[in-house]
Amino acid sequence: MEHFGLWVGAFLTLGIYSFLYRDNAWYKLCEAIFIGISAGYWVVILFWDNFYGKFWIGREEEPMLWVGAALGVLMLCRLVPRIGWISRWPLAFIVGATAGLWMMNYFSSNIMAQVQSTIMPLLGEGYSASFGEIVGNFVIAVGTFAGLIYFYFSKEHKGAFGATARLGIWVIMITFGASFGYTVMSRMSLLIGRIDFLLGDWLGLIQ
Amino acid sequence: MIVEPQQARVVIPGTVRFLLLAFLAVVVSITSTATASEPNADSTLLETQQVEPVTSLVAQDFKYDNGERIELFWVPSVDDRLVDGLVTGYEVYRTVNEGDPQRLAILPPGANTFRDEAAEIDSVYSYYITTLAEETSAKSVATEPMTSEREWLNRDRGYLFLIAFVIAAAVIFFVETAKRGKKLFIRKIAGLEAIDDAVGRATEMGRPVLFVPGIHDMDDVQTLAALTILGRVSRTIADYDSKIFMPVSRSLVMTAARETIKSSYMAAGRPDAYNDDMVNYVTDEQFGYVASVDGLIVREKPATIFLLGAFFAESLILAETGNSVGAIQIAGTARPAQLPFFIAACDFTLIGEELFAASAYLSDEPKQLGSLKGQDVGKGIAMFFVIAGTVAATISYAWDIGPVNDVLDWLNQVFSSN
Amino acid sequence: MKMKRGEVIVLLVLAVGSVLAYLGKINGWHSGFMFPKWLSITIVSLTFLSMVWMLVRTIQGKLVERRIVFLYVGIAVALPLLMELPQKIIVSDIVRAVYTELEALQPGSKVLVSFDYDPASAPELQPMAEAFIAECFERDLTVIMMGLWPQGPQQAAMAVDSAMKRMGYTDQDKVYGVDYVNLGYQAGNEFVIQRMGSSFQSMFKTDFLGTPYEDIPLVKNVKNFSNINFSFNLSSGFPGTVEWVQVAVDRYGLRMGAGNTAVQAPTIYPYVRSKQVLGLLGGMNGGAEFETVTGLPGKAIGFMLPQSFAHLIVIGFIIIGNVAFFREGRKSRLKG
Repeated sequence: MEHFGLWVGAFLTLGIYSFLYRDNAWYKLCEAIFIGISAGYWVVILFWDNFYGKFWIGREEEPMLWVGAALGVLMLCRLVPRIGWISRWPLAFIVGATAGLWMMNYFSSNIMAQVQSTIMPLLGEGYSASFGEIVGNFVIAVGTFAGLIYFYFSKEHKGAFGATARLGIWVIMITFGASFGYTVMSRMSLLIGRIDFLLGDWLGLIQ
Repeated sequence: MIVEPQQARVVIPGTVRFLLLAFLAVVVSITSTATASEPNADSTLLETQQVEPVTSLVAQDFKYDNGERIELFWVPSVDDRLVDGLVTGYEVYRTVNEGDPQRLAILPPGANTFRDEAAEIDSVYSYYITTLAEETSAKSVATEPMTSEREWLNRDRGYLFLIAFVIAAAVIFFVETAKRGKKLFIRKIAGLEAIDDAVGRATEMGRPVLFVPGIHDMDDVQTLAALTILGRVSRTIADYDSKIFMPVSRSLVMTAARETIKSSYMAAGRPDAYNDDMVNYVTDEQFGYVASVDGLIVREKPATIFLLGAFFAESLILAETGNSVGAIQIAGTARPAQLPFFIAACDFTLIGEELFAASAYLSDEPKQLGSLKGQDVGKGIAMFFVIAGTVAATISYAWDIGPVNDVLDWLNQVFSSN
Repeated sequence: MKMKRGEVIVLLVLAVGSVLAYLGKINGWHSGFMFPKWLSITIVSLTFLSMVWMLVRTIQGKLVERRIVFLYVGIAVALPLLMELPQKIIVSDIVRAVYTELEALQPGSKVLVSFDYDPASAPELQPMAEAFIAECFERDLTVIMMGLWPQGPQQAAMAVDSAMKRMGYTDQDKVYGVDYVNLGYQAGNEFVIQRMGSSFQSMFKTDFLGTPYEDIPLVKNVKNFSNINFSFNLSSGFPGTVEWVQVAVDRYGLRMGAGNTAVQAPTIYPYVRSKQVLGLLGGMNGGAEFETVTGLPGKAIGFMLPQSFAHLIVIGFIIIGNVAFFREGRKSRLKG
């Protein structure tokens, strides 16, 4: 069984990578297997973890789950075109509840805490900062301000405001560049993982 | 009427109380060290040295919780010293409703606080601390019976409430203003003008338009923004008699997208041209979905691709494949980690909030426009405090000017109230 | 989409080679290969020389085909796995901070580890997970594992197995349910974290193996986040570190470190700066640094050589690509 698993893993890995050469039947086969298995996997997960694991097991202990189940049934109304409009109610509940629940969390974590961490002495405590730190502090303070200006939609980007917005987009682009570098690292790591599987686990070529 | 003794009503702020306790501890330990240093001829004869209990044990309800926490403060035993100390630890005991004591925790020497996290609102609690030494122990005086309380409002978050209230009020104000028909100004967003041209190009080339709404469900505001833009795109497609296909990874998004495209076709007066197959569900699995869309792009070679919504690791794979077939690509997401790939591989990118701005701009809905303007108020507040705070911090740390220090303290207090 | 004869031959050679190598592995004909140092240096030098040659050709106007780029990246990743060249790994402050947090914990402290990723991100996150669990075991910390991603708990189980093997522990040294427990997956994304804030048990009625929560010695007295001394989140997307910060850290005051894929890491940096996240292991590099600081070398350190080599190749192609871009740009302007 272990041999079979290894060969299937290698067959599918190489099949997906063959797309780099060109689109071909091997890739299409692997793609179809992947999509089919993943769709099936999610059906199983959703059934056992959501419907059975959450609702069925907990239905007696937590009567509120029946409300959720009823909303879920309303979703199925979409299958009948005449009463399809009813399915908007659970949808409205999902959107509304999520927005309400997370508004304060986002506000607290992504606004209050971030503004506080931006408030800092540019020159360090009692002029103690090194040149590098001073530059870093300026970049953070000016970059945050200019970035916010770029995302200010109520004013046309003209004059000094426009110049600050341009500075903002430059800061954003430099950030994206750094982020891109991280992604290259991430993708290479995934490739390393797969090649380690092929050369190591599968063929045993790595000592 | 029974009048409670006055001391029960005196409220000492937490920091002051801590300082007082620390001061007491220092005084007591200095006194004890002085006493211990006096020559005592008999001390060497004692086999087991007695250990002193902790003193000034206070139990108090934790403020702003659901009633499950009680905090204990005490002055450590005078024998709890770094040099020649006798104490090996402390045991915290609790009695519930005058029942048998239960041990809650064993704490290391030097401990002077403990938080009971498992209290219940209806029970009466009393606590005592046992000081442990090598072969002996000493029990402290138990605290007065007390109950924990549930607070409905967390007053520590007052400033958070205030700022959120101002922004929410601004949103409501602008929504109402827009509803009254007043035109709200939003700056031009690069990329929006390109939508019509991009769809026109697909029509001219006789190739379809691909619309990918991200991989999140309808509870993500990015997906909602993407569907608003889909309304405009599909309307143009219906007008130009072009073709659209839209693979999705969430069933709810599929139904909502079908409805959106259907309404656009009806608005364009071409309901007969609409077909449910324009939108199809693939799989919830991220990379399964990517493999499918990638294959679709290579085989169908769409002339125009819209990648709008919540994207993750699939962003670069999709954008790169779209680029390789020569499609015009218009992308947008609020996931900062994915934006670099869209910027590198697509022709136009709606960066972060521009996606929502585009949605508001295209829909012309008072709610969306008002929200955007209200958020601008929030950004204005953030910008003001970033600048004011940084200036105050720089002056305060460099020159130590009293009033500026006060301003800085206040700002830190405001933004730490989360 | 017909195959050319050359393609068929290449495929056949690869297939036969693979079968032979596999037979060799299972029959003990070989036990893997490691290039001698001179060969490793020669391969590296030849690779870079060939890239210089490609740069020259690009300057001459002959563009490199994209498949060549893929081939080079493949070579850059595959061959260093068979090389043994010295490399120095410098531990950054942000990684050391996670180690310092563990160092400050008393033996027996409870550490919550959430595995919010799946096998697709395992090459980056699994080495971190293994090193983190091994370090917790080394320090006699108790580990409570869970996952907001369906495959998370399987990754957790694999990480524990690997950490136990690496440390030479048996089931008697680290007892399941006493020293560590796997609470399994719970659907509901960030709402799970929210509910855990008031009660772990309301979300995890049983563990991964089906044992009722109240029967597990390690967690029977764990009510909510206030009973957790430190938490570590391994995440590759949503739900992940951001959601843990917003709910568990900001609302319930949980002390948390994180291990993220490199793609995610820049998103988490602002939270590190504001101390909402106490330390961060970013990508495979972060994993290698953590293995270095803990003194428990694992896969991440081994993978750093191919990673570095691949980065150099990518930098080379960025230069070549830009040369091609500016050359083409200039040409088109001249034409215009």
